[in-house]
Amino acid sequence: MRKIAFLLMAFAIPFSTYAASIKAEVNGMVCAFCAKGIEKKLKALPQSQAVFVDLKKHIVVLELKPSQEVPLDEFKAIIKDAGYDVSSAEITDKSAAEIKAEITR
Amino acid sequence: MFKKYLVLLGMLGMPGWVQAAALMGFADSIMVMGEAGHDYQEAMVNYSPVVGHAFGIEQMRMEDEDGMESSISSLNYTRLIKRWNMKGGQANLWFTGGVGHAYGDGGEGFAYTPSVQFDYETTRLYFLGKLRMMRGPDMNFDSASVQGGFSFYEAGFDETQPWFVIEAKTMRNMEPAFQVTPALRLINKDYFLEFGVSNPLDEEYRTPRINFMFVF
Repeated sequence: MRKIAFLLMAFAIPFSTYAASIKAEVNGMVCAFCAKGIEKKLKALPQSQAVFVDLKKHIVVLELKPSQEVPLDEFKAIIKDAGYDVSSAEITDKSAAEIKAEITR
Repeated sequence: MFKKYLVLLGMLGMPGWVQAAALMGFADSIMVMGEAGHDYQEAMVNYSPVVGHAFGIEQMRMEDEDGMESSISSLNYTRLIKRWNMKGGQANLWFTGGVGHAYGDGGEGFAYTPSVQFDYETTRLYFLGKLRMMRGPDMNFDSASVQGGFSFYEAGFDETQPWFVIEAKTMRNMEPAFQVTPALRLINKDYFLEFGVSNPLDEEYRTPRINFMFVF
């Protein structure tokens, strides 16, 4: 019985802590003061774990809390409401910190 | 939301001076803008319920070439007519219209202040052109201005980016009518500050100028 419980826990942990990020390339994002709305709106999402914005590469990353998700259409609408356009967006299993490290490397 | 209304109400009571540079924040945001020079001061607060539209209040004070003081208190509407979001830049075409009350040494009455503005910006370059009417009874402070500038270096989202910006502006009934203002602009995600000197080469008309913007 203890073995079964251990096995269940071993399988459950990776899935319950699984986190994903949405990484998008955003057109028009050239100034921090103007792009503040993007960060503010994404951070306000209950699913939001972290937000990373890079003006030089025009990248926005929304890291999600474990087991949470945000539909890409909703994400794009938030960017649109902030005054910008998403040219491409993808879901990745990397964290915002990992993507930031890749970009700034 | 309640906090934003408190900020807006607080700004209604501020002394009448201040002006604008970028014209509105993001959806559901409040922007405070101001400009203060020797004979021209302007302050504006607006609320943007959705991207592309903002409603606000504005207070201006001018001292003309004869030393006559005029003020305009107005309600205004700002409309983003068109925005071009490009991979490495953004361009905007704006309309702002204000209607209100003019008063001062020359009398008082209805005032109106329509303007159009075009701007283009990358992470390193900046250009702006603006035409504005400022009319009231026996009052004409129409103006035309262009600005151009460059940033000293690219900055990250959480860093402050310094810019050099120079503005050439003509304004009716002001002394001098044509003014050139080089300025240092500091931008980060929380504020926009600009410190300039109008007519730096003219000892008689050399005056400091400050611009600022905050968004909540």
